[in-house]
Amino acid sequence: MCGISGIIYKNARQNGQAPVGRDLVRMLDSLAHRGRDSSGVTIAGEDFDGDYIVRMWTDDEDRADVVLARAEEAATRAGCVVTARQSWGGYLRLIVNFEGEVRGLAEATIATDGVELHSIGRVSEVVKDVGTASVLAEKHGVGGLRGTHGIGHVRMATESKVDISHAHPFWAYPFPDVTVVHNGQLTNYHKLKRRYEDHGHRFQTGNDSEVIAVYLADKLARGDALDKALGDSLNDLDGTFTYVVSTEDGLGCAKDQWSAKPLVTMETDEVVAVASEEVALRSVFSEEIDRVEPQQREFMTWTL
Amino acid sequence: MDTLDAAELSPRDLNRRLKELTANGRAEVTILNPGARHNLAVGILKPCTVQFKGSVGYFAASMIDGPEVTIDGNAGWALGENMMGGRIVLTKDAGASLAASMRGGEVIVGGNAGARAGISMKGGTLVIEGNSGFLTGFMMQKGRIIVCGDIGEAVGDSMYEGTIYVGGKIGSLGNDAKLEEATEGELIEIWSVLADNGIDKKPRFRKVVSQKKLYHFDSLERLEMAAV
Repeated sequence: MCGISGIIYKNARQNGQAPVGRDLVRMLDSLAHRGRDSSGVTIAGEDFDGDYIVRMWTDDEDRADVVLARAEEAATRAGCVVTARQSWGGYLRLIVNFEGEVRGLAEATIATDGVELHSIGRVSEVVKDVGTASVLAEKHGVGGLRGTHGIGHVRMATESKVDISHAHPFWAYPFPDVTVVHNGQLTNYHKLKRRYEDHGHRFQTGNDSEVIAVYLADKLARGDALDKALGDSLNDLDGTFTYVVSTEDGLGCAKDQWSAKPLVTMETDEVVAVASEEVALRSVFSEEIDRVEPQQREFMTWTL
Repeated sequence: MDTLDAAELSPRDLNRRLKELTANGRAEVTILNPGARHNLAVGILKPCTVQFKGSVGYFAASMIDGPEVTIDGNAGWALGENMMGGRIVLTKDAGASLAASMRGGEVIVGGNAGARAGISMKGGTLVIEGNSGFLTGFMMQKGRIIVCGDIGEAVGDSMYEGTIYVGGKIGSLGNDAKLEEATEGELIEIWSVLADNGIDKKPRFRKVVSQKKLYHFDSLERLEMAAV
């Protein structure tokens, strides 16, 4: 069991940033009974002065300063100009100007021993940690982040180990801004992973959900629209899944052929929220809105 | 009449208060602000009326025997799971596994139901005024499911006994299920069930029943033996 959520303020580009971080923390808090191992969010559409947000983490807590400085140096050598830098615990968040290929930047960064990349985005960043959503709020200040859309997850681990890198969302290395949260288990994960590795993709974790992000990002990079990629995923992913994907300018969700994992949605003219349970939607909507429950093999997308 | 504010109580405390209030037979309790939380009004075994002013979460009014529970809103998964008797009225939509394993009583849904409604149902009546999802009546063993609207794929998959009445379109039949016309007598009976529940509809129901090719019924139940 896991809890997933997503929210998009459809007119945020015209009306200004919305309290996406606050909404996601509220939804994840109300889904805490679905998992307490780890939690995480993607926040998209923040205001920042640079080309990309780069988020990385090291498990080498004692030497975090040294390790992260090395990774930053590697990013600089790869062509990054760092315009802002924040570091706490084992985390490093960089705002950078960068004109090259994101794959080159990603590979240079993770070549540093002990460093894992959580995301590189033109508009979005991934924040994840072990523990519940209150950790995200207290330790990482997620509740105060404003943007256009985002996704969130609370995890009860079934398929791989519990640590910060195996927390959701999973970023589709090295495609900027494609991140996924997933509830379920994929049974053709190894087969898909091998196929992508044969094409030169590099996986960051041993978690089955990561392949959904790579699968979708690969399709988007080949020119497919988001709804086409989601529709195809219903045939190509095997197992149980309900997932939510965040892209540069949109949000999507899909449910497997068994309708095995829950998802409900609520939508107004301004905002759409999706979550495993209605209790989470009620934490962000005070007004009475009709709830829609996607059924088996259904997918939905929304764009800014 | 008593009123409880669910926003001020944990589900455990709310259920404890409900049990206390209903312990001596008839009681009328209104519950405010249920907030779609789980496990509300479970295990109440006395006749009483409970009204929720808002949506409930998973397993609402499950394992009940006797109460009449009204919910002004939606329900999450497994509303009325394993209920033995009584009546549940939901004004809006139900999630998956609606009335799973119910053994008696009535569940009336004003909106639509998700996947696996009436899964492993063992008695009673389940009425869905709107549409019902994938695998409705999966492994059903007894009782009846009445769906006024459309029904999804794999209807009545692996059902043993019982009847699923469908007013609208059928996505597909499940394994070992077959479609039959309802008799005039059955139609009149089903329409009267709808009328009794304030549903002003008279669809020309068709029914889905078991082909009984998947299982072998070569021994009788104890009560059936007595009847032979």
